[in-house]
Amino acid sequence: MSSKVEASKIDEAKIGKKPLSKRIYEHRWYYLLFSPVLLFALTFYYAPIYGLRYAFYDYKGIKEPIFVGLANFEKMFSMQGFWNAFTNTLEISIFKLFLTTFMSIIMSLLLNEIINLRYKKVAQTIVYLPHFMSWVVTASVFALIMSPSQQGLVNAVLTNLGIIEQGQEIYFLGSSKWWRPVYYFINIWKETGWGTIIFMATLAGISPDLYEAASIDGATRLQKIMYITIPALMNTIVIVLILNLAKIMNLFESVFVMQNDAVMKQADVLQTYIYTQTFNSGALPNYGYTTAVGMVKSIVGGLLVIVCNYASKKIRGRGIV
Amino acid sequence: MKTNKSSAMKKILALLIVLSLVLTACGPKDGGTDAGASTDTGSTTSDSTDNNDSSDGGAGEIEKPEKITIMVDGTLTTKANNREAFEAEWEALTGVDLEIIQPDHDAYTDNLGQVLASGDWPDVMLLNSAYYAGYAEEGVLWDMTQAYENSDLKSRVKNEELIEGLKINGSLYGISPTRGNGCITYIKKAWLDNVGLDVPTNYEEYLAVLDAFTHGDPDGNGVDGDTYAVSSAGLIGEEVPFINYLPEFYQDAFPSFYLTESGEWADGFVEDNFIGALERLRDAYQAGYIDKEALTNGTSDCRNKFYEDKFGIFTYWAGTWGTNLKTNLEANGLDGELIAMEPIEEVGSYLERQAPTWAITSKAENPEAIFEYFIETMLDGGLGQRLFTYGAEGVYWTTEGGEVLGETYEDGEFHMLESLEKPGTLYTKNHIDPMLALTSFTEFADPGIEKVPEATLVSAATFAENSRLVELVPSSDVMSQYNGDLVKLKREIVANVVLGTRTIEEEMQRFEDEGGLEWSQMIVESLNAK
Repeated sequence: MSSKVEASKIDEAKIGKKPLSKRIYEHRWYYLLFSPVLLFALTFYYAPIYGLRYAFYDYKGIKEPIFVGLANFEKMFSMQGFWNAFTNTLEISIFKLFLTTFMSIIMSLLLNEIINLRYKKVAQTIVYLPHFMSWVVTASVFALIMSPSQQGLVNAVLTNLGIIEQGQEIYFLGSSKWWRPVYYFINIWKETGWGTIIFMATLAGISPDLYEAASIDGATRLQKIMYITIPALMNTIVIVLILNLAKIMNLFESVFVMQNDAVMKQADVLQTYIYTQTFNSGALPNYGYTTAVGMVKSIVGGLLVIVCNYASKKIRGRGIV
Repeated sequence: MKTNKSSAMKKILALLIVLSLVLTACGPKDGGTDAGASTDTGSTTSDSTDNNDSSDGGAGEIEKPEKITIMVDGTLTTKANNREAFEAEWEALTGVDLEIIQPDHDAYTDNLGQVLASGDWPDVMLLNSAYYAGYAEEGVLWDMTQAYENSDLKSRVKNEELIEGLKINGSLYGISPTRGNGCITYIKKAWLDNVGLDVPTNYEEYLAVLDAFTHGDPDGNGVDGDTYAVSSAGLIGEEVPFINYLPEFYQDAFPSFYLTESGEWADGFVEDNFIGALERLRDAYQAGYIDKEALTNGTSDCRNKFYEDKFGIFTYWAGTWGTNLKTNLEANGLDGELIAMEPIEEVGSYLERQAPTWAITSKAENPEAIFEYFIETMLDGGLGQRLFTYGAEGVYWTTEGGEVLGETYEDGEFHMLESLEKPGTLYTKNHIDPMLALTSFTEFADPGIEKVPEATLVSAATFAENSRLVELVPSSDVMSQYNGDLVKLKREIVANVVLGTRTIEEEMQRFEDEGGLEWSQMIVESLNAK
C-alpha cells in the first residue's frame, strides 16, 4: 500500500517537472477531442457576451451606437415599470420554486406509498404528462376552465355549490387578486409530476432494510415516512432548491402567455418587460436599454449562483459550480 | 501490438470528429431554410451603377438589374405554396433573377431587425408602419419620391391620398400596394329582427341594441339574458389604430399620438374626450354588454364565440371577412346574414390603418431600376399585378376546366385552386387583396372580380365610403426611450377602469404619478420638433 503511495508521489513529481508544452503534447489527443467543445462554447456562449457593451450605448441596430455611459442604467433605475418587473420576477419565481418543490415532495411521498407497481407506474405517467404540454396550450385550456361565465368549469362549480351567484362569476385571469394564485395553481398542475422524478429516484435508492427494521420495531407507516423517507430525501431537496434558485431570473413563457393588461402590476417580469420595450414601443427599440435590463438580470442571476454555491458548500460540503 | 492499433484508432476517430465539426461549421448556409437563406443581398447590375441619390430618380436610362433580393413575411406566396412557381413566373416576366428571403411570418420583424443589424441588407423589404417610419429616419430607406413622381405608376394610382399618407417630411420611402383596410361593425340581422330593432345610427340607439342583445332573447332560444352584445380581443388593439375593435365606445377619442387639425401632434389619451370613452367602456362592461372575457380574448376566441351565436355585434375586418363570418355562421346552421353597419353618428368614420409598405434600402445598387422592375411591376395593372394578386398560374389559379373541391368549372373560366398548404380550402389571393389594390387592372379586366362574393363587396364598399386613414406617426429617439412604458401604462389604466377595480380619477392620478404624463409630453414635443 505504502509503495503505491510512494509511486504516485514520484509520478506527480515527474509530471510537475515536465514543461507545459510537453504535457500538452503528451495529451494532445485529449486536447484535440476537447477542442470542438471549447470552440463551440467560446463561439456561442462567450463571444456573445461582448454584446453587453451595448448597455452603455444608444443603439437601434442600424447606425453606429452612441456611447451614453450609464444613462441607460439611470433611466432603468428611475422607471417604476422596471422595479415592478424586478420585484415580480423575484416574488413569483421564488414562491413558485418553493411551492412546486414542496408539492413534488408530497407527490413523491404519495407515489412511493403505492404498493401496486402497475398502478404506481400508471399514476406516475399521468402526473408527468402535463409537463409535455406547451405553455400556450396550457394557458388556453385554463382560460376555458377559468372562464368568467357558466361555461367556465370553476365558476359553474362555484355557482352550483352556492359560493357565488350566477352573474357574479369571477374573472380569475383578469383579476389582480386572483391572477397569482391561479398562476401558481397552473404551475403546480403542470410541473409537480415532472419534479417528482429526482425525488422518486432518491426514494428508490433507500435501503429496504431500514423500513424492515422499522417495521420490526413497530413503526407505523407515518413514522417510517417521518424518520426514514424524509431524512433520506433532505439532501436531494436541498440540491433541487439550490440548482433551481440559480435560474429563477429566467421567467418568461409561462407568464407571457397568461398576462393581460389588468394584471401587469402583478404579472410583469423582467423578460416580459424587455419584450414590451423591444416589440411594443411603436418605434424602433433602443437595444441599449434592453441590453442594460438584460445585464442587470444576468448580474442578479450570477449573484444567485454564487450564493447558491456558497450555500451548497455549507450544507453539502461541496459546491455546485 | 493491440494497444498500438487501439491508439491509432482513437487518433483517427478524434481527427474525424474534429474534421466533421469544422466542416459543418464552415459549410454553406443555404440549407434550404427560408429565413436568411442567403446573405448575398446586394443587387447586381449588368453595368453597375452606384446611385442612392433620389434626385436622379427616374431620370435617364435605367440599367436592368441582374438580380433583386427581397425580404417579405408570409403574406407573399410561401415555400409551402410553391414559391418557386411564383419566382419562375416573375423572372419570366421581368428577365431579372429574384431572390426571396422569407422568415417565419410571426418572427418577421425580429428577423428583419437582425438582418439590418448584420449590414447585409436586402434590396427591397416589406415594413409595417411603425418600422417604416423608424427605418426611414435612420437612413435605411431610399427616398423614392422622384422615382415615383416620374413613373407610370403615379398615373395608375387610384387614391393619391394613400401615397401622401406614406410621406415623411415630404419624402416618400415606400409604396403600399394596397389600402391598409380596417374594421367595420357587423350586426346579425336575425338578432335585430328578433328584438324588433333597426340598425343603430347613433349611440343612444346603439345602447338600446346592446341592451336588447344582452337582456333579451335575440338568438330566439327562448331564454332571456343568455347572450351578450359585443366581444373584442382586448380593450385596446396591439397596433395602430388601437381602437378599431370597439369604435362605438371610443368614438372621437384616440389613445395615442395623432395629428390635430392645426397640424400639431397631440396625445389623445390625455385629452378630455378620452375620459368619456373610458366611462362608456366601463358602463357597458359593467352592464354586461361587452364580453366579460374581452381582456383575455384572442381574435380567434371572438370569432368562435360569434359563430356559436354567443354575441351579435362584432367589429372586425372589412372585405373578405364579411364573407368568412357569414360562411362560418351558416356552417354552424345559423342565419349568416350580417349587416355591415355604417358608423354611428358619434363615430363618424371607421379608421383605416397604414398598410405594410415595400421599401428599397439605401444600400441597394441601382434603386431606380429596382423601383421600376419590382415595385412598378407589382402594380402594373397587368401580368405583374395579376401574379401578386392571384399568384402563379397553375398553382393558385387556372382557366382550365375541371372540378375543384366539388365545384365544376368550364374551360376559360378563371377560378382559384385548392391550397397546397391547407388542403380542402381554396386559395383566395396572393399578396395583394384585389378589393384593396392601389391600382386597377388596365391591360385586362380583373380576372377574379366576378368571383368576389356579394358580402365581401358590400363590406368593402361600406368601409371605403366611411373610413379615414390614420396618419403615420414619425419615430423619435424620445419615443424609442419611453413609448414602451407609456403604452403599457395606458393599457393598464384602461383595463383597470373598465373592469371597475379602480376609478377613473385614481387611474389618471396614477398616470401622472408614474411618469405617464411627463413621457407623453416629451414624446409630443419631440414629434412637434421635427
